[in-house]
This record gives sequence, structure tokens and C-alpha cells, in this order.
Amino acid sequence: MLGFLIRRLTGSIALLLVTALLTFVLLSIPNQDVGRQLLGMQATQQAIDAKNAELGLDRPILVQFFDWLVRAVQGDLGRSWFSSENVTTAIGNRLPVTLSLMIGVTLVTAVCGYLLGVWAGTRRGRVDTFVQVFSVAGYALPGFLVTIVIVIVFAVKLGWFPAVGYTPITISFTGWLSTITLPVISLSLAAVAGVAQQVRSSVIEVSRSDYIRTLTTRGLPRRRILFRHVLRNASAPALTVLGLQFVGLLGGAVIVEQIFGLPGIGSMTIKYTSQGDIPIIMGLVMLTAIGVVIINLLVDLAIGALLPKARVS
Amino acid sequence: MNKRVLGAVGAAVAAVLLLSGCAGGGADASPATHDKTLRLATMTVPQSLDPKDATGSALPFFQAVYDTLVLRTPAGDYKPMLATEWSYNDDQTVLSMTLRTGVTFDDGTPFDAKAAKANLERFRDSGGPDAANLAGVTVDAVDDSHITLTLEQPNPGLLFFLSDSAGLMANPADFDEKDALVTTPDGTGPYVLDKDKTAIGTTWVYDQRKDYWGTAPDFSTVTMQVFDNENAIVNGLKTGQIDAAVLQSADQQLAAEQDKDLTFQDVLFDFQGILLFDRGGAVTPALAKPEVRQALNEAIDRETLLKVVRDGRGQVTSQVWGVDSQGYETSLDDYYPYDPAKAKQLLADAGYPNGFELTLPRLTSIVTDNIASALQTDFAKIGVKLTWADVDAASALKQIFVEKKFSGMVMNMGQSSNDWIVYSTLIAPGTFNFFGTMDDQVNKLAAQARALPADQTAELYKKMNERIVEQAWFVPFYRMTYELVTVPGVTAAPQAGMAVPSIYNYSLSK
Repeated sequence: MLGFLIRRLTGSIALLLVTALLTFVLLSIPNQDVGRQLLGMQATQQAIDAKNAELGLDRPILVQFFDWLVRAVQGDLGRSWFSSENVTTAIGNRLPVTLSLMIGVTLVTAVCGYLLGVWAGTRRGRVDTFVQVFSVAGYALPGFLVTIVIVIVFAVKLGWFPAVGYTPITISFTGWLSTITLPVISLSLAAVAGVAQQVRSSVIEVSRSDYIRTLTTRGLPRRRILFRHVLRNASAPALTVLGLQFVGLLGGAVIVEQIFGLPGIGSMTIKYTSQGDIPIIMGLVMLTAIGVVIINLLVDLAIGALLPKARVS
Repeated sequence: MNKRVLGAVGAAVAAVLLLSGCAGGGADASPATHDKTLRLATMTVPQSLDPKDATGSALPFFQAVYDTLVLRTPAGDYKPMLATEWSYNDDQTVLSMTLRTGVTFDDGTPFDAKAAKANLERFRDSGGPDAANLAGVTVDAVDDSHITLTLEQPNPGLLFFLSDSAGLMANPADFDEKDALVTTPDGTGPYVLDKDKTAIGTTWVYDQRKDYWGTAPDFSTVTMQVFDNENAIVNGLKTGQIDAAVLQSADQQLAAEQDKDLTFQDVLFDFQGILLFDRGGAVTPALAKPEVRQALNEAIDRETLLKVVRDGRGQVTSQVWGVDSQGYETSLDDYYPYDPAKAKQLLADAGYPNGFELTLPRLTSIVTDNIASALQTDFAKIGVKLTWADVDAASALKQIFVEKKFSGMVMNMGQSSNDWIVYSTLIAPGTFNFFGTMDDQVNKLAAQARALPADQTAELYKKMNERIVEQAWFVPFYRMTYELVTVPGVTAAPQAGMAVPSIYNYSLSK
């Protein structure tokens, strides 16, 4: 287990470095003129050159990268060019929003998706058909459309939830809950559908396998077979899907964050990327990369804990 | 089962329709009350809270904490603020100002002539957006409460600048400390930034300053929240989570109008059109001929364009001077009616009977699909082949303004209420005339206007406007109607020459 961890960690650090370098170089290549964007069209070339020099943009790209890297390792990610935000603070302000969404959605998805999947996989028949149709609908309906309808009905017309904004959990728990409920529901629909489908097929597949049949013929109680054997074996694919979806949420949250006016990582990424705000984008890319590495590691560990045979591979 | 799902979807849609139909019924006759917090929504993020980085569109963020030397009223007149009186000498080259006494910055330091001088010189020298506006200005502190601004040549835009970002006065004690003002503003204004509640980049919270020298504002707290789309802003206005915002997109204006409780006021600030830079024909030789530029103007079906692109929300126009300026003339709005036959004739007269090829950069945020195809169709009718070159936002400015790769571009431009600023940004060689086109008549009129007090220049600017329209330096389409939307209980006055109201223009409804 320790060897596995060390191998994974070394690989991860190398991956992070390569990601950082590639992102930095790719972002620096476009023929952009940050000084001019900042100072406006009326500024003199002299003032623009001075601004670019102040930001260190007059140096070779690799020098700029190593400068960034050295500071980043020390915990200083710099400051946004376009809004003067400290990158760490800016991400720190917005991360709780997106994390609230991601964790909320993952919980809802894990519970609802799992229950629906097991229900469909064990009962079959009408229940199964219902879950199947729900899953197809959950995937087929465009997310933004569902979100807009949800906002119009539950926030604007009925006034049950706020339509825009985010209340930090540290200020008010109920306020926080009310601001993330609708976004989480909107984001969960497709995710629940995906997990339910996955769990359903795994349950069916495992139920049909030889050893379960053997256990059944030996007369073990149905319930025991289900919990001890079927679900345990069917969980691995579900966990993988859940992990992938959690990572995917970083991107999927964009639309929901925009529609609900939530100051989260998703909408931030869009805004600053279109401007080419390298300090902020680098911060976000690193955050995402580290997040992906950690989640994958956790998923692997969880699967390993559930299914000892997975550890060998 | 499929039928059942369809039924459920149908029911949901019906419910939405039913609910939207029910909303906004009976109007309330009693005056609405509102709490003392003003919640503004915007899509503009200020680069920092240091006045040297301030630009017009982000002004409200600054006005809350910094007073300007001169106050610009909603109608565009100048009133005392930190300067109580001012006057020009006869040849308009020395502006003398008397400063208000007894005013202090947040830390108790008094505001005086030395502070004003330090601020103005900093704008001039530190290379920010206002450096060009104050270039060549010498500031002298006569005594504690008097300063003079000496100009190399008259600048009829100066008072406007001093009522705008170049008039924002910050505490000079913070100038030496690098970046002190960037996130910790220190001014004499009616509010102070609440740093604990502020998350720079998303939400700024300002609390009323207890010892403010002027009349206390109606609101004890102002929050400014940044959104990246108007859809969320409209939902916020409908649910009362946002008190005021300016809506630009026609679709969102329409969506907001379904709520009968909201108040709407038209703001006519931005025009949209093609700025033709290349009037000398350096990139596109045909454009050197006035007839060709006139032909482009005649070729555009402005009414249809306005209807298609903006749901008819705006006014078609052939001029770049805005309704709040002296040079504006109603008759110039329809100077170039839609007339493809005449356009073809003009092209033939200029020696281009078969048209020519024109490449313009396409910034997708401005040139939407319907604008792109409408212009291509209109121009194709007179034989002009319009090609759109995709440029990304990050490198667009460089390609257009530095590398001069294009003959013009479609832009949304604010229309200043100050005629000299219209002239100096759009007409004079420089920012938007970077190919440096000159015109003797315009030069003469500008020289005359420059030396006269503002109340004597209307005729000159009208003539200048006529000349520019006739020479077809631009291909304006229309002024776009933006809407200033407020919730019950909050009143806001649109600001002449600005897309968004000044922070002083908001009050509680009486």
C-alpha cells in the first residue's frame, strides 16, 4: 500500500509540473498585449511598455515560468492582472461555493443514484423501466434548460429560494442551504441518472454471476447476498463514475454558477480565461490538477478497501 | 411509459407558463418602502481601487470612496464637490480652482491643495488610463485651498475629466507605499470599503462614512456585485435581491419588463457601427474615396438591423455624436437612408463598379451571428465582399491598434456628452484615428472650438459633425437603448454621457 502511494505521489508531482509548464507556455504564446488591455486604447506605447515591464512580461517565457514556479512553491501565486485580486485569496473566496456544489451534488448523487440503481437492479420490472426512462430523460434534457425552468418556478415565481447569490456557511447555515439547494438539484439530475444506470447494470451483472448463483442455491438469505456480495462488487464501477463526475462537476458547474450568479470557480475560470489573466488561470489550473489527482487517489483507495483484489492490479 | 414522461414534461411546462402568466398582476398604489441597503449589479470589474487605474465604466466603485474635484450632475452640468469654485483665464489655458476646506481623508489627514496637486500629477505621470487626459498639465498649489492648472493649450475636456476618473482624490499618504490603494481605498467620499465583507472580484461592500463632509446619502450600505451574465441580474431584480442595474441585451430587457413592479428608464449612451480607420486606403485602397465610404453607409438597412439585432430597441443614426452633446443634430440620424441603388452608383462613380473586398475583425462578443450575416448580405448587394476575420479578445487590441491589420471594426462606443472628447477620441489623429486622417475643415473648426468657452461652441461642433457625416468617416448603425432598471422604493437618475448612473444618482423613493 505504501509503495503504491509513493508511486502515485511521484507520478502526480511530475504530472503537475508538466501541466503547469504546458499551460503557462500555451497561455503565453498568443500575441496578446496585456498592458494595452489594462491601460485602455488611449494609453501611450511608452506607458504600455512600462506596464508590461512592471508585470515582467518583457522577459522570455521560460524565465517567467520559473519565476512563477519558484514563487508558487513558496505559496505565492501572485495577483490577478485584471482585478488586482490576490490569486490565493480569490480562489479561497470562490472555492467554498464550488465545493459546496460539488459535495452537495456528490452526496445527492451517491445516495439517490445508488438507491435508484439498486432498486431497479433488484426489482426489475416496472420499477426498472421507470428508472431507465428517468435516466434517459436526465441525460437528454439540456442542463441549462432544466436549470432555467427550476429558477423561474422555484425562485422567481414561488419565491421559495433565492434566485441569485451565495451565502457562506460561516455566516448562516440556513442561508447557505437555501442558496445551494436549487443549484445542487439542477446539477444532480444528470449525475443521478448516470450513477443509477451504472449501479443498475452492475447489480444485474453481479447477480447473474456464477458465485452469486452458487450462494443463492446454498440457501443464503437474499438480503445477505445482496448486501455482503452483490452491492460490494457492484460498488467499484459506481465509485469510478462518481469520481469522474465529481471531477467533471468542476466544468459542469459553470452554467449553473452563471445562471444562479454564484461566485464560484467555474464562472471565474470562464471570465479570466477569456481575458488571458495568466496568474489567475495558473492558480485555477493547479487547483484543478491537484483536485483531480487527489480524487483519483481517493477513489482508488476506496475501491481497494472495498475490493481487496483490486489492490493487486 | 414514454407517454407518461411526455405528460410529466408537458405538465411542468404548463406549470411554468401558468405561473409566469399569473405574475405581475395588480399594481400596488401605496409607495414601496425599501431598506437602507443599495444592492447594485454590474458586469464590470474594476482593475483595482486605486484611482490611477480607474476608467469611466467602473466609476461607481470609485465614487463611493473617492470624491471628485468637480461633480457632474445627471444632466451633465458641473457643480462644486471638492472644488467649490473654478474659472478659466481669457485664453482658456489656466484653470483656477478653490478647494473645500475642512474635508479629511479616512485616516484624518486633511484634504488640501497639496493633496490635489499630488493626485493630479500622479494621474499625469503614472501611466494610467488618465495619463493622456492630463498630459502637459502643470499643477501649482497657490495656498492651502487654491490650485491652478496650467495647460500647454486649451483643453475643453478638462472639466469633464475632473468630474470623471481624473478628478478622484486619494490620500497622498498612500502613494509612496506600493499598491496601498489597490485593495484599501482611502478617500474623502461618502462611503468606506468594508474589507471584511468584501470579496474583491465578486462583491464589494461599502458602509456609510460617519464624518462625511457632505449630505449623508440615503443608503447606509452599498453593495456592488459582479455578474457575468444579465440573466442572473434579471432574476435578482425580479426577486428583489438586486435593487438596480443597467440591462444592455434586448432579450434580458424584455424578460425584465414582464415584471410590472420594476421601473425602467432608457439610457442612450452606446452606439454601434463600423469605425473606418483606413480613410487613406493603406489597407483597403477603395476606402480612400469618400464615395466608397458613403456607399457603405447607403448600403446598410439600419431599420431592419435594429429590429433583428436589438428588437427595435434604439434609434438608427448616421452620426457618432450623441444626444447629450452640443454637436448632435437630429437631421443627421437619417442622413444615409437605405438605398442600395444609390450605393452602387456611388461605387461606380468612385471607379469600383464591381465592388471590392473588405476584411473586418470579428469580436464575437460584439459582432453576433445576426450582425455578421446582415452586414455581409447588405454589402454583397452592392458588390462589396465582406470577410470576417476571427480575432480573440486577448490579442484583438494589438492586431487592430498596433499592427494596424484592419481597415475598420464594428464596435460599441460610448457617446460622450462632452463634444471635445468626441472630437479628441474619435476624430483627431490618435486613439481611434490611428491611421491619422486629417481634414482641413475639421482642423479649423477644432482649433476654433478649443479656444472658446464651452457655451460658445455649439455651432462649431455641429459643423464638424456635419462634415464628418458627409465625409463618411464612420458607418454608424444605431444608438442602443439600454435600460436602467430599479426595484420599488429605489430611485435612480440616468447619467448623461455614461452607461451607468453615478453613485450619487441613487436615492430612496420619497
